[in-house]
Amino acid sequence: MLTVVLQQAMNGLVVGSLYVLVALGLTLIYGILVQINFAHADVVTLGAFAAYFLMHRFGGGYIAAIVLAFVVGGALGWLTNAAIFSPLRERGNELLPLIATIGLSVTLENAMLAAFGPIPYAFDTPYSNDVLRLGGIFITVQNLLIVAVSAGAIGLLYAFLKFTFMGKALRAVSQDRETAGLVGINPNQLIMVTFVIASALAGMGGAMLGPVLVLTPFAGTSVILKAFAIVIIGGFGNVEGTIIAGLIIGLIESYTTQFLNPGWIDIVVFAILLAMLALRPTGLVAERREENV
Amino acid sequence: MGIMRSGASATLAACAAALAIGGANPAPAADNIIKIGALLPMSGPGSYFGAQDKQGIELALDDINRTGVNGYKLEVQYEDSACSPLPATQAAKRLIEQYKPDVVIGEECSDATLAIMPVMAQSKVPLLNAGSSSIKITDPGNPWTFRIMPNEVMQGVDIATNAYKRLDARSAVLLYENTNAGIGNAKVFNETFTSLGGKILADIGFGRDVNDFTAIATRIAGLGKVDVIPTYTLEGQGLKITQALAQAGVTKGGGGQAIQLGTIWLPFGFEQKAGKAALGYIRIVQFDPTDERGNVRNFITAFKMKFNQGPTHLNAHAYDQIGLIADVVHRGAKDAQSIRDGLAATKSFSGVTGSVEFDGKNQNVKMDTIHYMETLDDLSWKALPWN
Repeated sequence: MLTVVLQQAMNGLVVGSLYVLVALGLTLIYGILVQINFAHADVVTLGAFAAYFLMHRFGGGYIAAIVLAFVVGGALGWLTNAAIFSPLRERGNELLPLIATIGLSVTLENAMLAAFGPIPYAFDTPYSNDVLRLGGIFITVQNLLIVAVSAGAIGLLYAFLKFTFMGKALRAVSQDRETAGLVGINPNQLIMVTFVIASALAGMGGAMLGPVLVLTPFAGTSVILKAFAIVIIGGFGNVEGTIIAGLIIGLIESYTTQFLNPGWIDIVVFAILLAMLALRPTGLVAERREENV
Repeated sequence: MGIMRSGASATLAACAAALAIGGANPAPAADNIIKIGALLPMSGPGSYFGAQDKQGIELALDDINRTGVNGYKLEVQYEDSACSPLPATQAAKRLIEQYKPDVVIGEECSDATLAIMPVMAQSKVPLLNAGSSSIKITDPGNPWTFRIMPNEVMQGVDIATNAYKRLDARSAVLLYENTNAGIGNAKVFNETFTSLGGKILADIGFGRDVNDFTAIATRIAGLGKVDVIPTYTLEGQGLKITQALAQAGVTKGGGGQAIQLGTIWLPFGFEQKAGKAALGYIRIVQFDPTDERGNVRNFITAFKMKFNQGPTHLNAHAYDQIGLIADVVHRGAKDAQSIRDGLAATKSFSGVTGSVEFDGKNQNVKMDTIHYMETLDDLSWKALPWN
């Protein structure tokens, strides 16, 4: 039984790492703009397809594919913010950018459906079927890579936010956009940086998720609801909370599968979400909205 | 006289032409239209069904409309029913109100089919289903719904019996998506297998949003010796399950002993996507590409010419749906009521998936539509002579 418990902890860590990668982008954007980005899932999917095609059509390596997905995601974030969200925000109606994210999501999903078709792609990497076994525990090299890359990305993001001027400026804007502007910080520039980082993370998340989930134009939507739940449980816009919540949800999924049934996963996860909203609406970590990001 | 039987070695076009000349009914000018509504999943995780069905339909239309049938040409209007009850119901109502079809084909997913059946019955338009397996579709006896594929009970009883008697399986783990079809298929296997003396070690249902199956594979690996794992999912999740079971060392593809069993849910090409993990997988397919019957060989040749690839069972059963409607029109049907009556009177229609003869509940009773395939080392298929 100990082996099974440890194995499921490993499985939960992998799934949780993936969720964190996706949820971090959502929480960053929410922290700065107090805006939910429904198109985030489609950036994940586009990143996965970019990585898939680099590897399977152009013979690229997996690491190069991850980098490409990161770049594609970031570029899409820049483009959509510059062309759609930024002009809409200038009109002063908070609802417009929110609705635009829904429109963008539907557009991207159907564009990918037209371009890539509905049939699932088998996104295998050279590491998908390499299995490491230690005692009774196993993990594929692919999943090990997911944990390592996710940990690296999370660490770099954390360091960026904590120790760089721009990271500190981002936190300042999230706490009080007007006051930050008074001390010379350009909020629009920082919003653009946020979109680029969040989307780049989503694209990279797609490259990591692609070999794990079922790669279709709807792939991202299958994880986005869980990512929203993680953002809420972690504390809207709170990076530390999102990381902790993502890993906890991953573990809950694994142990629910083992000791109850996978059909119970959503019941358990969303019951926790409801409990958090009722008992601790600020989330696991955040005490005050102002401390987010 | 059935279209396919009268020209077994010819394509649908040749059959239709022959029957137009020598059939019992006079052949008016081919300017009348039989309107066929197609409710198929074109979006969402089941959209591969719709994409492949459409290919089979288009090929059949090419063949049949070259000459027409009894002066009629067939026309198809597609609507996206999304493999889900609500969009399927909306699409069905839209189709009925705007297109006013004489007959409707679809859906693929049982939940969606169950949702559109009342719409069809209320409108008195026959529904010809090829891909949904839930027993609820035909068991109550719906006069307007017909199904050409074996239902979940026919498939489930057959595969459970074969697992017990031919594979000597005594223990099983059930894996299925939490839908009418998934639950129903698993239940039939469970009842048949346990009644024969087999034991179900775990009964694991999951939602369509589950992505990582490593946790499920871990749980199964911890159960000890498992002989067979009947699996009822769409292709995407099926791929991940097969790979996760192999990685956990449970199935033959990963050096274990368990054999995965499947029914007609998975399309052709699944094994190539799953890779070595699929080794030893035994599954029912609705279409046997090694079938030597003339109409099957002609279908394969025509399909390859049109699409530059071999047909799948989804292509094949959609082709048969149109072929069966053409057969009914040849026998004199010209509107919804007469098409319904013609379908009910069908005897031994010979399609590319097998033959069709409906019982009193409009369920095809012919078992030659069940073909067992085993995945070999090189990921090719070996046809198992179990039916």
